[in-house]
Amino acid sequence: MPIEGLRRIDANRLEIPKNYKAGMRTNGIIFVDEVLEKGLETGAIEQVANVATLPGIVGSSLAMPDIHTGYGFTIGGVAAFDIHDGVISPGGVGYDIN
Amino acid sequence: MEVLYNNIPTGVGSKGKLRLGSEDERQLLLKGARWAVEKGFGDKEDLLHTESGGCIEGADPDLISKKAYERGRAQQGTLGSGNHFTEIQYVDEIHEEKIAARLGLFKDQITVMIHTGSRGFGHQVCTDFLEVMAKAVQKYKIDLPDKELACAPFNSPEAQDYLAAMRAAANYAWANRQCIMHWVKESFMQTLNASPTALGMSLIYDVAHNIAKVEEHTINGRKRKLVVHRKGATRAFPPGHPELPLAYKDLGQPVLIPGDMGRASFVLIGTEKAMQETFGSTCHGAGRVMSRHQAIRRAKGRAIYREMEDMGIIVRSAGRETLAEEMPEAYKDISNVVDVVHNAGISKKVAKLRPIGVIKG
Repeated sequence: MPIEGLRRIDANRLEIPKNYKAGMRTNGIIFVDEVLEKGLETGAIEQVANVATLPGIVGSSLAMPDIHTGYGFTIGGVAAFDIHDGVISPGGVGYDIN
Repeated sequence: MEVLYNNIPTGVGSKGKLRLGSEDERQLLLKGARWAVEKGFGDKEDLLHTESGGCIEGADPDLISKKAYERGRAQQGTLGSGNHFTEIQYVDEIHEEKIAARLGLFKDQITVMIHTGSRGFGHQVCTDFLEVMAKAVQKYKIDLPDKELACAPFNSPEAQDYLAAMRAAANYAWANRQCIMHWVKESFMQTLNASPTALGMSLIYDVAHNIAKVEEHTINGRKRKLVVHRKGATRAFPPGHPELPLAYKDLGQPVLIPGDMGRASFVLIGTEKAMQETFGSTCHGAGRVMSRHQAIRRAKGRAIYREMEDMGIIVRSAGRETLAEEMPEAYKDISNVVDVVHNAGISKKVAKLRPIGVIKG
């Protein structure tokens, strides 16, 4: 069963459209195939969408196939922000720095 | 395995065998792996094969709390617990013959992989700055859907202070792995009575997977400076990128994907597609499917180390609980994870490594 509100782009990419959640400035893209999609946690999808609401985000809010729920941002998450009007967030790096 | 286990301090809150003064600690926060090499841990050549040369500029030791200093001093040169490990592995499959050969990898070769980071030091830096950021969110009136996303405008003092402290933690992690790598080489030397050079032991690559970095990326044809957050994601720069060492310039950046202790780990290589689609990033590991708590419950009444031994994998661990948390079934199958990034084109499989000896915290 496909997850409601998400759109499969191709065999390895799943999109969280910008209208998935109020306040999203961009879409989310999760790199998963149909097998790994079955194990996706709802909490992790919400987190990828939440990151897309942050000021100054550039491109999509991204997640790799080893995605799972983390502190604020998913583990497996990639997000880029403009250095002029974007933010930096410790949750985007996590506790286990480097 | 016994020699390795004895030479590498391991376990929750494990204390190192280094005796660091406060000036030593300041220096290692500024210099990262370079500090370790200057102290005699490893060779200058190692730094050429380390992301950012093992030292990121702009770290500021004055922004580190007393608590972080205390935790850091005791834990430099330790493996820690959780998913961190030192593994003896062998090359099970080669996917890209030419690239593998250039990296010095061949079938049935013995490899060692070290997976650890900035230990309690980085944890404390994160804790300290989450407090700072919670206040910054109020001050700069940032509307968040979840308070765990606490952040600050990149040019604010709060953000710049965090960046400088995080860089110190990143340097701490590079120094830590450099020290542990040195002890790995010493252990092989002791056991096999041959020098690391004679044994062909050299560093393929050292790469971070929990870090924020200021990088230049081309967006819609325009070069822009961005702060790229990678949390459980690995940099995977393509051939020709200026950050690559000379030896790998035409190959792309090697990427290390540490897996669970029963199945496999991978060496990948960065691609142009990653640059276009993911700010030069790929996956970082297997990814948990069970929480640590669930895994401990599932492991009740089982001898995980014995199950591993039956698979032909020798495990040494400081904590029984760690083994339960880390049992292979607590993770996704890493091959599925790596296949997705390979098929999506954001990195390429080079070699599959299988564990034969695992040291866990």
